[in-house]
Amino acid sequence: MTVGSNVKSCYASLKSIEANLKTLNERAQHNEAKKVFHETERIIKEIKSDLQQQVIFLSQEEPQYKQ
Amino acid sequence: MPGWVEVILRSIALLMILFFMTKGLGKKQLAQMSIFEYITGIVLGGIVAIHSFDTDQPFMHAVIALLLWFIIPFTIERLSLKSKRLRDFTQGKSTVVIQDGKIMEDNLKKEGYTTDDLLESLRQKDIFQYADVEFAVLEPTGSLSVLPKSENKPLTPKDMGLKVAPKKEPQTVIMDGKVLLEPLANLSLNTNWLEAELDKMNVSIENVFLAQADTDGQLTVDLYDDKIAVPSPSEKPLLLATMKKCQADLELFALGTENQQSKAMYEKNSQKLQQAIDKISPYLQ
Repeated sequence: MTVGSNVKSCYASLKSIEANLKTLNERAQHNEAKKVFHETERIIKEIKSDLQQQVIFLSQEEPQYKQ
Repeated sequence: MPGWVEVILRSIALLMILFFMTKGLGKKQLAQMSIFEYITGIVLGGIVAIHSFDTDQPFMHAVIALLLWFIIPFTIERLSLKSKRLRDFTQGKSTVVIQDGKIMEDNLKKEGYTTDDLLESLRQKDIFQYADVEFAVLEPTGSLSVLPKSENKPLTPKDMGLKVAPKKEPQTVIMDGKVLLEPLANLSLNTNWLEAELDKMNVSIENVFLAQADTDGQLTVDLYDDKIAVPSPSEKPLLLATMKKCQADLELFALGTENQQSKAMYEKNSQKLQQAIDKISPYLQ
């Protein structure tokens, strides 16, 4: 696997984490738990957007692996 | 009217009256009753017992006696809800028997509580040495309440400085194979969700003996067929594991790259993720 695809799979994992946190946040009954889930979701979102930039950057760096 | 018919009628009538009276006197276990309530109970039973079969006694006498023995304790109970002084008088006060780790011999004597009684009550609380006790109170009901010295108290998350996730009561959503709608609604979930969760576990509702959902909507089920293994909820541990994996990945990327800008970005985000994991892990366990 190239660096680009590694980073891409990590990006996908982050996406799934974000979705999971969202469902947990919806189902949580306790306000405190809801707050923590929401806060974590926000952090994951920030990391995700950083990583997205990196995915784009890497795909330009490694054009030979592009289908 | 033959005597036996009268006995039947009297018994049924008195039973009804007694039933409603005991309802009115409130919920208390025998062990929690004050001596006054205890006696009232016995007398009420005695009146009913005598008048049930003694057909010579006029029935009205039974009703009058029952009413009196109901109304007076009932009024006293109601009044003592309002007044602390009356309460202390009718229900008694608690007595301190150990204070600052020292046994109060005078108080023990006053209550007619022997040293053996004290040691026995302490043993029932799993304390075998009086020196482990900071404070103990003899309650009006006769039970002993004990505050152990702080080094002998059970360890709590607070003592350890641990953060634990707040939890509300779990709801029972399936009982004897039938879905209970009200508890489901309390968790703001519906039957569709329940069916989907059961589908995920590959079990049918008819086979479920008991199912409970916790505050975060994690379902645990017990089946009639105990040979089938049911998966325990894995959603939250899985999420935590994925987060940890991502964090490790980011660190690897940071080590692997030679581009300074990318390195800094990976490092920053891996730290951020680590902080998030630390914060959320109590809630995912």
